[in-house]
Amino acid sequence: MKVLLSWIREFVDVPEPAEDIGKLLSVRGLALEGLESHGDDVVMDFDVTANRPDCLSMIGIAREIATAYNRPLTVPAAPPLTIGASVAVTIEAPELCPRYAGAVADVTVGPSPQWLQDRLTACGIRSISNVVDITNYVLLELGQPMHAFDLAKLGGGAIVVRRAKSGESITTLDGKVRSLTPEMLVIADASRAQAIGGVMGGADSEVSAVTKRIVFEAAYFKPSSVRATSKALGLKTDASTRFERGMDVTAPARAMARACQLLEQIGAGKASGTIQDVYPAPQPAASLVLERARLPGLLGMDVPDANVERILRSLGFTVAPHTGGPYGDGHPSDGWTVTTPSWRVDIKRQVDLIEEVGRHHGFEHLPSTFPGVQQAPASSDPRIVRDRRVRNALLGMGFSEAITFAFVEAIAAEPFLAGDSPVALANPLSEKFAVMRPSLLPGLIDAVSHNRRHGRRDVQLFEIGTRFSPRAETRGVGFAWTGLATADHWSGARREVDFFDLKGVVEQLAAVSLVTLTFVAADVPYLVKGRSAAIAVNGSTIGVCGLLDSGVGDRRDLPSGDAVYVGELNLDALTAAAPAETLRATPLPRYPWVVRDLSMLVDDTLSAGTVRGTIRSAAPVTLSEVREFDRYQGTGIPDGKISLSFRLTFQSPERTLTDEEVQAGMQHIIDALTRDLAATQR
Amino acid sequence: MSPIDTSIGPDRARELFRAELADVRTDAELQALRMRWVGRKGSWVAAFMEALATATPEQKKAFGRGANELKNEVEAAITEREAALAATRQPANAVDITLPGRRPAFGHRHPLSLIRDEVGAIFTRLGYQVLEGPEIEDDYHNFEALNMPEEHPARDMQDTLYLAEPLRIGAGQPLTLLRTHTSAMQIRHMEQHAPPVRLVAIGPVYRKDNLDLTHTPMFHQVEGLVVGKGVTLADLKGTLAAMAEALFGTGIGIRFRPSFFPYTEPSAEVDIQCIKCKGSGCSMCKRTGWIEILGSGMVHPAVFEAVGYDPNEVTGFAFGMGVERVALLKWGAEDIRLFYENDLRFLEQFGL
Ligand SMILES: [Zn+2]
Repeated sequence: MKVLLSWIREFVDVPEPAEDIGKLLSVRGLALEGLESHGDDVVMDFDVTANRPDCLSMIGIAREIATAYNRPLTVPAAPPLTIGASVAVTIEAPELCPRYAGAVADVTVGPSPQWLQDRLTACGIRSISNVVDITNYVLLELGQPMHAFDLAKLGGGAIVVRRAKSGESITTLDGKVRSLTPEMLVIADASRAQAIGGVMGGADSEVSAVTKRIVFEAAYFKPSSVRATSKALGLKTDASTRFERGMDVTAPARAMARACQLLEQIGAGKASGTIQDVYPAPQPAASLVLERARLPGLLGMDVPDANVERILRSLGFTVAPHTGGPYGDGHPSDGWTVTTPSWRVDIKRQVDLIEEVGRHHGFEHLPSTFPGVQQAPASSDPRIVRDRRVRNALLGMGFSEAITFAFVEAIAAEPFLAGDSPVALANPLSEKFAVMRPSLLPGLIDAVSHNRRHGRRDVQLFEIGTRFSPRAETRGVGFAWTGLATADHWSGARREVDFFDLKGVVEQLAAVSLVTLTFVAADVPYLVKGRSAAIAVNGSTIGVCGLLDSGVGDRRDLPSGDAVYVGELNLDALTAAAPAETLRATPLPRYPWVVRDLSMLVDDTLSAGTVRGTIRSAAPVTLSEVREFDRYQGTGIPDGKISLSFRLTFQSPERTLTDEEVQAGMQHIIDALTRDLAATQR
Repeated sequence: MSPIDTSIGPDRARELFRAELADVRTDAELQALRMRWVGRKGSWVAAFMEALATATPEQKKAFGRGANELKNEVEAAITEREAALAATRQPANAVDITLPGRRPAFGHRHPLSLIRDEVGAIFTRLGYQVLEGPEIEDDYHNFEALNMPEEHPARDMQDTLYLAEPLRIGAGQPLTLLRTHTSAMQIRHMEQHAPPVRLVAIGPVYRKDNLDLTHTPMFHQVEGLVVGKGVTLADLKGTLAAMAEALFGTGIGIRFRPSFFPYTEPSAEVDIQCIKCKGSGCSMCKRTGWIEILGSGMVHPAVFEAVGYDPNEVTGFAFGMGVERVALLKWGAEDIRLFYENDLRFLEQFGL
């Protein structure tokens, strides 16, 4: 809200410089947004919060300044008007318009005097003609939107406030034809709509250079009605913004008197009738009880009684000792009965009064204290600790943490939907943010692509975040790796990342989560078949890992030829699979272990997992570990065969194993491999 | 190197020796020096000794003592230099330790994740529980329970992203929107727990804001909520002052400016003293000395009524702060979009 310092000074005596006023008001609830000089004058631009439509006026701002500086506010009274004939006003829809005032005036339309034009211009309003300028002047001064009709254009010379008829339309002042519905309020003459109530006037009855008689309008329109109409028509005006926030129901009479006074003052005309002020059901002023103890109880600082009363009175409240309290009538400890001024539509509860007192007493007087603790703090979301563990593990493995937007392009999400429909947005910011991500990978792929296109050769990124499906939100971790698997070092030994680097990452995440995972060949649309695995725990799939399909990469502008390995795990499922019972330490083994190596020739179609499985099932219980340590194919190995070497560790918690029993166990394993897998020992 | 000439006398010879010793760099040079000065034959000392043998008594008197001193000094100096050279000598299997090391891999934390953790740790220290919650919400928990009914103008303040089709997950209302603040989470908590409450909710929130230097359609929020008997606005001030000092440094003050939020009354916007100029006024704080950091206030009684708390029994405070805003201020970054590009050149500026 732009206000003019000279205009403010008509209502309150503040000789202080504008900067000082701005600084003080900023800590009293009206933040100063801008300050600019305008000739000898100063325009101050205050940020008025949505709950304070009363401050969208000179008087409203002046009242705040008067209270802040503890000075009196002087509002000049407009003289009452009487005489002659007047326009007939009928309110047919009092539920949308509880009050409507109209007054007829004879006018000579022309330019406004310079001082009036200057004031409007300074406040950002274009001067149009003396009659229209007066309505805007009153709007700025008192906050009450007004309108002027050309009386000659009003059929029947009467004003009817009613709902629009279905199919009715109007051409508004901006020249557009608007279709109206019965939810909307119109100001009509005997036959048709001449204005949309509280939103915009009609072009037909617009005041023009030849207008001789006008009707001034000052009314109170119901906020929700104006809001709905403005929204439905996509038409937001200075008037509609004010009406939808709530205007002062007592203001129309005051505004009308002021407009008529200005009309005569600038020689633009003269009101020729009594004001028709139709207000069938006057609203009584609301009153609230302000309990004495509540003030320090809520604020944590005390405000002296005299200050409480001064602040409230200065803001327009009436204050009387509260009767009927526990201390007996009128006891000062009891508090006050406070009557709210009609313009303070935001005051509904005692806390609203406490805020008024608190902010004008000054938040700078608040002490710094701490809330007491009544019970031991409850524990935090367990996902925080879990996520931290996974995050630390990945950081330790060389992955940097990414955070990407949770909405992605529909085409980027498509390969990851796994049969679900996407969770799409109705009003996305753009096509790039159209659907909620079904996976963390689209975002990570874009991040890898960004880094690659900015000259980064090796990229390792991970993200922990939410994935969305029509059935649930789940927390997951995604990771992507391209470039070198090893440090780029002068000593050489560089190697590009491969499937087993990525699988190793997954295995480490399982290890830090105390979970055993199994891997089976995967067939998913975004990974290369034969280079990808589905990751399962207790038989259910919780993720995948493998080489990104080059088509998917191409669509995200990854440089062609880039081998990008990606993986993703459902962290909620991973957590659910972790042992629930408290970890128990196992004593260290007291007896020595025995290690045996075993090299077998097997068909190259057999997976190491199958061979390992056969070893495990044939082995005695003393087999504690099986580890592949070599895999060889080539010279010396028959076609169609591979040599797989295993290191087997035997150990018993009860005794030292003998050579013979280990040998017997080994033989049993070899027999099983020979028999079941047609393997031969090398 | 001057030829051996005993006529210059031992004192001058000693000066010559010192000059030659100063030039010695290697073991080999040192051995050559030794031969030249104290070798059995043809050295300076041998020459002096020879000269001494054939000298007149006057001559003997003149430099006999000096020649001996020369010999002693030369031997002692060479031994000393020998030890010094040995001390700097590299063993046969030495490596060039100035070559770069082979660094074990480690990644870098995302700056927003660092701030999240830091704020979480501050409030854990102050006895709060840290909570996270669903990101897709229903209208009730995101707006209505927070004193923003359908027609409330404050809904305009937070341009909301809506789902194309409502989701039905669980028993509650259909989920229709992306949460515009983590307050929705606080409502869910209060519905399920009796007071006292002492929590911070942290996580991503969504608004229909165009990308620019200071806005992204997704950002992260930290919201605190304390409810109990006798909780006051002064308690809020003390708490936020402690947080500001922990986040931005000792001595960083705060101030409250009255403001408006539908879910708090009284409401206050909170400024911290400008961390660049410490309050004297600079371009960063637009010469005011203060920088807005968060919104806060005393929980509105209507919010308590919505979750079944009695506003006559309990009071509470709440605050909400943008993680990105803190990160921008704390690290002097100028473009919020950097946080979502995940450019490693940016991420690697932040440690672990
Ligand atoms: Zn500054």
